[in-house]
Amino acid sequence: MPSTHSSDAPPAVEAIDLRKRYGDELAVDGVSLSLPSGTVYGFLGPNGAGKTTTMRLLTGLTRPTDGEARVCGTPVADRRGLVSQVGYLPETPPLYEEFSAREQLDYVADLRDIPPETADERIDAYLDRFELREDAAKRIGSYSKGMKRKTAFVQSVLHDPDVLFLDEPTSGLDPRAARRIRESITDFAADGTTVFLSTHILPVVEAVADTVGVLFEGRLVAEGPPADLTDRAAAGADSGTLEDAFLAVTGGDDPVEGGE
Amino acid sequence: MSRRRDLHHGCRIGRAEFVRSVRGYTRDARRILGLAVAVLFFGGQLLVTLPAAYAAGQSVRTATAVPYLDPVAVILPVGLLALATLRTMERLGGVDAEELLLTTVHPRAVVIGLVLAELGRLALWLGLPIAALVVAFAAGLGAPTLPLTAGVLVLPLLACTAVCGYALGITGLRVLRRLPTFRRLLKGGAVVGFLGLFVLSQVAAHAFVERDVSVAALLEVVSVPALTEYLSLAFVGTPLDGGVSPAAVAVLAGLLAVTPIGLAAAERSADALWFGDDDRSQPSGSTAAAGSGEGFAPPRPFAWRRSGRIAWGHLLRAIRHPQELSHLLMLVFLAGPVLGSLASGNDGGALASILAGTGTAVGVYLAGATFGLNPLGDDRPHLPLLLLVETPTRTLLRGRVAAGLALGLPVAVLVPVATVAAGTPLPAALGYAALGLCLAPAAAGLALGLGCAYPIYEPRELWGTETVAPSTLVLLGYSFVVLGGTSIWLVLVPVGLGGPLSPLLLAGAGTLALLTALPSALSYRYALNRYRGYTR
Repeated sequence: MPSTHSSDAPPAVEAIDLRKRYGDELAVDGVSLSLPSGTVYGFLGPNGAGKTTTMRLLTGLTRPTDGEARVCGTPVADRRGLVSQVGYLPETPPLYEEFSAREQLDYVADLRDIPPETADERIDAYLDRFELREDAAKRIGSYSKGMKRKTAFVQSVLHDPDVLFLDEPTSGLDPRAARRIRESITDFAADGTTVFLSTHILPVVEAVADTVGVLFEGRLVAEGPPADLTDRAAAGADSGTLEDAFLAVTGGDDPVEGGE
Repeated sequence: MSRRRDLHHGCRIGRAEFVRSVRGYTRDARRILGLAVAVLFFGGQLLVTLPAAYAAGQSVRTATAVPYLDPVAVILPVGLLALATLRTMERLGGVDAEELLLTTVHPRAVVIGLVLAELGRLALWLGLPIAALVVAFAAGLGAPTLPLTAGVLVLPLLACTAVCGYALGITGLRVLRRLPTFRRLLKGGAVVGFLGLFVLSQVAAHAFVERDVSVAALLEVVSVPALTEYLSLAFVGTPLDGGVSPAAVAVLAGLLAVTPIGLAAAERSADALWFGDDDRSQPSGSTAAAGSGEGFAPPRPFAWRRSGRIAWGHLLRAIRHPQELSHLLMLVFLAGPVLGSLASGNDGGALASILAGTGTAVGVYLAGATFGLNPLGDDRPHLPLLLLVETPTRTLLRGRVAAGLALGLPVAVLVPVATVAAGTPLPAALGYAALGLCLAPAAAGLALGLGCAYPIYEPRELWGTETVAPSTLVLLGYSFVVLGGTSIWLVLVPVGLGGPLSPLLLAGAGTLALLTALPSALSYRYALNRYRGYTR
């Protein structure tokens, strides 16, 4: 179970002036974040804004050119300390097509040092919850896109991470499965897990996020509760939706007032 | 504690990767059939080598009398190291589901896992036959402990060469990443170098046979006594026991000491490779297509017709990802031995004529093999687009044929003509060039039908590029038909040019022409129907 938030606990995710440069291109440009435990952070931005790079920096998969990042106080460069604290679901599910879902999850549970009895209980519960039990013995190569995504989601939460990084978790899912994922996200947050959610599906963010950050050309151009962003968008338009806010901050040079 | 944990995780990863490989080998009936053919072929060799090993075991009286012990003691570690390095550079530099493993375990565990899985694969493919040979030799010698002691000795050697080879391979990949120009040069240079090495090896083999050079005498030069003594430790407790020498113990200690150092180096390099910047770190201009701002603008004569523009697209893709043409290396294996034989047995004008004929044969082969042997598999990612556009299917296929001809025809025509300077008679050179002009389109048509009959869709990664290689069966079939047929034509050309044409020769040539043109036309027609079948 993830640690619960207390006033003197370090932020669940902390980034200070994070930069990542690829040759001449600045993919992430001075991003600073501080997320408390148990929150859902909706991470928005147009294609190529640097969202995936930021998530790779925060999960230690890529080294920053400059700046610092910590997860629950552990520097992301400390991989041994980091791995038990994070769960990561990338946009392309990292699964082995030669395994069945059950074998895949057993394998990941073993690598996560989850005791076999506990692993069995959790795997059974998740397979039931995501309606995968009947196909659990089939090879993943024969799965649909949605089934692969659900299996990958389960493997990313199997060890009850403190911080869960999700890149487009509901992409390719049918409405029922997408709702299951949304419900799971709020459940995890209620249990103290911090969820860093990157998606283009704005209604999902509106439904589950406590805070929204908008990345544009590598810079965090707006941040705050969804209601605040939509209020700002409403001030300059007929309607005030998160979509309006998103388009306002990513459509031109002038970010929404109050954005970073 | 962390080392034990990494070792546990590494063993688990190694097991999983090995199981994945085995399941991959037996994924479908085609692979199982290929596996069965390989087992039958190599298993058949064992029918000869096992009795020979048994007889050798019966006849030897001292360790020094064991055949080829000295060169094996050197070639074994060097070969294993080279194999591990090359395999790492080719396939093991990365790991599937990288994001999962690198956010789940320490990189050291991943390195251990990959190395262990590779050792498992090595044991499966090479270990079993070698173990069978050792058992047969031990049976002949009457030394039941020999397989056990040999296994115990080989283990440190395997571990050391595997981790050091992995470290070298990963370091090589890092160097290539840092030097993109060198990497591009290497891609082209490697093929040419490989080709040269192969032909040289064939010439050398013939020199051994014809000039009575003793292989045994040459192999004796490749001898490191300390390594031989280390390998001789396997005979401890057998009738060939020569005692334990300090040099052998020193080699064992060295292997045991170098293994953790190699592992540490491999881990550091892998860490730098996996968490460092990939190709995106190159300035964006370096990956931009030349002239891309002007759109897709093929040069003349490709620009004249739509099939030409399609052909230019295929050529452009091949230039940007030459790995997609890796299947053409088959030509080296097929033509190398023949070329080696011919080159070593002839000189002067004869050699020039051989070169002229070779140019024709290679050009004809390339015309079909380059783009025609797996058209459906090659087109699969954009097949929905190709089938929905208004461009007729025949234009698409003609584009593929034209791309092959653009590559094959210059070779088939210009090489024979160029060899006139080296002594090929002009009529013969022109005859070969004309032959190339006629046979190259036939080969291109034949390739399309063969490729469509047995398409391969599964991509595999080779030197960092995903490629869908044609079926080996199709490749071999095409190679034997085209190279065999072209060879007959190459013999007929000088005969035809040499004197009056007899009715028999004319009848033979006519039949051969029919056998060349008809299958090619039918094959092209079949490919057309296969493509059209998707839209009916």
